[in-house]
Parts: sequence; C-alpha cells; structure tokens
Amino acid sequence: MFKAVINADILKDSIEAISTLVDEAKLKLSKDGISINAVDPANVAMISFGLHPDAFESYECTDGEIGLNLETLVDILSMTERSDKIEIELDPEEHNLLLKMGGLAYTLSLIDLAAMRKEPKVPSLELPAKVTLKGSDLRLAIKAAEKVSDHLALGVDGSTFFMEAESDTNRVRFQLTKDELISLDASGPARSLFSLDYLSDMSKAISKANEVTVHLGKDYPVKINFSVAGGKGKVEYLLAPRIESD
Amino acid sequence: METRCVICKGRGLCGRPFCPILAKFCAIKRASIGDSIFGASPPSVFVGRVGYPDVRLGPLVPPEIAAKDARIYDDPAQWLGKGIEDVIGLRSNLVRSNTRLNVRSPRVLSDRLLIKTQMLAMASAPVDTEVKFLKPPKMELRFDGILSPMGPSGTLKDMSITENPSVPRKVDYLVSDKDVLAANATTELYESDISVYHINRLLSVGLLGRKKDRRLVPTRWAITATDDIVGKELIARVKDHSVLDEIRLFSTQRFGNRFEILLLPRPFSFELIEIWMPRSVWVGEGTWVGADREGYGGKRTYSLLAGGYYAARLGVVEYLENIKRQASIFIVREILPDYWAPLGVWVIREAVRDAMRQEPKRFETADAALNDVATRIRTPLRRWKKEAKLIHDFKFQKTLASF
Repeated sequence: MFKAVINADILKDSIEAISTLVDEAKLKLSKDGISINAVDPANVAMISFGLHPDAFESYECTDGEIGLNLETLVDILSMTERSDKIEIELDPEEHNLLLKMGGLAYTLSLIDLAAMRKEPKVPSLELPAKVTLKGSDLRLAIKAAEKVSDHLALGVDGSTFFMEAESDTNRVRFQLTKDELISLDASGPARSLFSLDYLSDMSKAISKANEVTVHLGKDYPVKINFSVAGGKGKVEYLLAPRIESD
Repeated sequence: METRCVICKGRGLCGRPFCPILAKFCAIKRASIGDSIFGASPPSVFVGRVGYPDVRLGPLVPPEIAAKDARIYDDPAQWLGKGIEDVIGLRSNLVRSNTRLNVRSPRVLSDRLLIKTQMLAMASAPVDTEVKFLKPPKMELRFDGILSPMGPSGTLKDMSITENPSVPRKVDYLVSDKDVLAANATTELYESDISVYHINRLLSVGLLGRKKDRRLVPTRWAITATDDIVGKELIARVKDHSVLDEIRLFSTQRFGNRFEILLLPRPFSFELIEIWMPRSVWVGEGTWVGADREGYGGKRTYSLLAGGYYAARLGVVEYLENIKRQASIFIVREILPDYWAPLGVWVIREAVRDAMRQEPKRFETADAALNDVATRIRTPLRRWKKEAKLIHDFKFQKTLASF
C-alpha cells in the first residue's frame, strides 16, 4: 500500500537527480520513506537516493518495491507548477501508479520488476579527502571544464581543493583554499580524473544544493553527497574515474 | 570540377585512376532514346527535392531491358562485386521520367501518373513499363553523395504498366493500413524481410503512414529516414542483449572505401570516423577527418556526417541483433582516391554489411586491435587517433565494478 501527497517541486528535483543517470529505477517503499539504488548502463555512475516521510504532506505506506519509468514520470511532471500538490497512489492490482495534480489524473503503468536489471552492489570505498563546498561552486568548476575538455581532474593538495581540465591547446584551473570552502579534511593528497559526460549531467542537481560534500582519492571513484527537499532527502552520486595509463 | 580539367582533357593530371568526365561520356553513348521507351523497371522510382513542396517524381526504366535482366539496375546488394565504372554504366542506362506534383498529393490520389508510380514502388520484381515523354530525354548523368547515379531524364506524358506487379502480402497490408504511423510500418516491413530499398520506395512515394500524414518524400531524405528508423529499432533491441565478451574486428574494402569495424565489450555506443584522402571525391589536396558518435542514450541531432552515419550504423546493429549481443561500435572509414565518383550512400550500407559477413579477427586489448587497424588505414594514426573518443573511453574509463 502506498498513498502520499507531496509538493511538485520536491518530487521534480528528486526525480530529476535520478533520471539524469537512469531511465528506469526500482523504488523501495517503506514506512521510513522511499529509497533508490541505481547504476547507469555502463556501470560507471551510481546514485543512492533516499526521501524521508517528512518530505511529504502525508505519507502512508507498507513495505514494497515498484519499477518506474523515470523518463515518463519526468515528462508528466513537466505539466505541473512547482507549487502544485501531487497525490500519488499505488494500484497494485492493476500494476499502476496513479498521480493526481490540479485537474489532471495520470495512470502510469509500472515496469515488471523481473524484467529490470539487478540492483548494483555499492562498492565500499576508503576515500582520504573530504571537501564541503557550495553546490554552485562545484557547478562552476564543471562548466569551466566543459569549455576546454571532455574530462576534468578533481583533487586536494594540502589545504586546497582544485579542478583542472586541459585539451591539446588550452587548460583551465579552478581552486578554493580551505577558508573559501565550507570544510576540508584530508589525510593525504588526492587526484582523480572524471568524464564530463557524467559530471555535467549530475551538475544540475548539484547546483541546487547549498552544501555538497565531495570525497576523493587517488585514481579512485568520487563520492558526492548533498541533500534535497530541505534536508529531508539525500542524494549520493558515485562516479568511477578515468585512469590514463599511457 | 577543378579548373585544371580544362587543361588536362583526361590525361590524368589529377591522379585519379579514371577521368570522371570521360567515364560520364562512355556511359552515355550506350543510351539512345526517342520520345517513348519500353523496358522492365527494376522496379525503381525517384522523388526529387528541388522545388519542395512541388517535387518531381516518376519511374526509372532501362530501355529494352527484359524483366529477367532488369533487377540489377536498382539492386545495390548485387553491385558490391563490381567496379565504380560498372555501376555508373548500369545507372546511366536507367532513364528517369518525371512529373511535377505537390508533396501532399498522396492524400487525395487523383493523379493517374502518381498512382501508377506507386504501383511500381510496391512491386518486389521487375515490371514491364512503357513511358511516353513530352520530348526526348536530355542526355545527362547525375552524381550525388546520397543517391545512386542517375541517367537521362525527361518529362512524363504518359506511362503504362503492361503487367500485374507482384506485391508482397505484407507490403499490400501496410500500404492499405491508413492508421499506422510510417515509422511503425517501416519497422514492420523490415521485420518481414522487405529490404530497406523497397521500404524506401514505399516511403518516398507516400504509401506509408496515416492517411492525413501521407506525402511524397524526396528519395534522398527517405533513404536516411529508413536507415534511421530501422537502426533505432534494432538498437533498442540490442540493448536488451548481454554485452559481447571479446574484442572483434571486421574489415572490408569496396569501391575505394576502406572499412575497419571494431566491436568492444561495452554497452551500446557508436562512433564513426571518416577520413577523406586527398583526391577522393569532394576533397582537393588535403586530408579531411570528421567524426560523429552517440552514447547509450542515442542521438538527438542530425549527424554532421550526414546519411552515411545512419547507413553505417544500420549495417553493424543488424549484425549485433543477429548474434544477440550488444557492444560499443567503432568504425573507421577511409575514402581512397579510387573513389572518384560519388555512388550514393548504399556503398556504405552494403560495404559495412559485407564486412560483418567476414570472419572477425579477435584481440586481447583495444590497443592491439587499433594497431592492426592502423596497418590498413593509409592515413597515419596520429591524424585520426584523437577522434577515437570511444576507444579512449574503453581504455581509460573504469567501471565501478573494479573498486
């Protein structure tokens, strides 16, 4: 059983953070909220998402799991105003999710769970550097890198967090010292290279967050954490690095 | 044509193995046409794009050619073993006749010549056809990057089909279905083993799609539309298959087009690098390198490599759907000076299909495969390696599974 009311902007922001990586996802429903673990088809980027019941106006739920086409959902949500309230109800008999917003009532058919990819195993990572900065600063670094390259390096050197990107002819560097950051905590230097294909997609959701925590290592995946829905939802992105060996 | 041709007059100063201008005349000599012709259309129809939305269309007929010999005039799959000059020779004997119509005319179907052209387009085998012209066709031969070469053309006065065309049941069924979308009809025809060439004819003469949407589609647009629609459908299916478990390399060379096709064990993506060598068609003295690609999510804008991109993609995804695997596809197409006349986009489609029929070489690493490719591509690797983004991703982008 699942029946809830939520503000359109919260649902929109949440779903968009996920749909930039995957077209469809398994949603775990429980009395503690909704959670999603999904990996992109190339197994390069992963998202872990959780939304607390407090993010909803009302929330009634028993344990369950449903498969949802996120592309369709994003499309439907584009019909709403950010201030709209959305009523969501699960119809398990018909394998449908019912969405009511304003005068509109949508019936969204669920994806058969058996036909979906298995949930990814979340790798356990020991990342030596942890930096907290404004989401808009990270977005700026990513946008600057897009102007010159297809990938960028993120790292920590002493008490400085930096981004570097270069092409054959051009390069760009962006850096923030410890006192320009919200916090920096590193047990050693860190530097890894990442594809902008993924980071650019993630940066839209990142830019809306006041605080973003970035965990980095040396040629290791990056972990990016931030909250949505006024702290009642959590997003964690994990992105595998590029390692250029020759 | 370069100004130098005036001085050279066919002596070969440009370095091409044949003089394109001379070859044009050789081919033309064979055709002598009065104000009416009789022959078996392969079948073949053409819809022009000049003047859109008022376009020219009509049947192509090789004069005096009997039904049993006619098919080869419009059957690219059979042209693979031939030389460029053979194809030009065949095509120059194909006489094009046309009438001018608005692209919306298939909705009302009042034009007699359109209905007859449509009957021809539906046929799967040569159809005896008589064509009468207002005046004898002009001697000319036209080349194009997308279209096959075409011979003389004249304005249609009347045409008659002197036998009952044989129409595959599925074609008849989908042409009569006026509620199905053209894209869905296209996929369904392809499923039923109707060739992309036949689908292309149907699409261009306005025989597919919902009644109110039916219209004439210039042949060159219809060719790429067919490749794209069928390609997209196959890609969607291929993505449901498991990932290929090894690196495979396929090669071929046809009509001065070298193809090296690498399949990498990764989820679907596609990349095509085109290298036009000096003195190949369209380029002067320099080498031109271009590349285009799409990731797992597909392509949103028209390819800068034009119709060739979609034709090449189709040939490889057909193979992947056959072996029920998905892979990252990386193609290098090098165009040699031997490709002195543009023959049309079928060269790419059929050459890629031909490559995929060969026994592949297998490699342990992407680098080993790339080095092997470089032994057959004449342009040095350093000139095009940077464009090979997909290979770089394959080599350098780690997956989360490795941590």
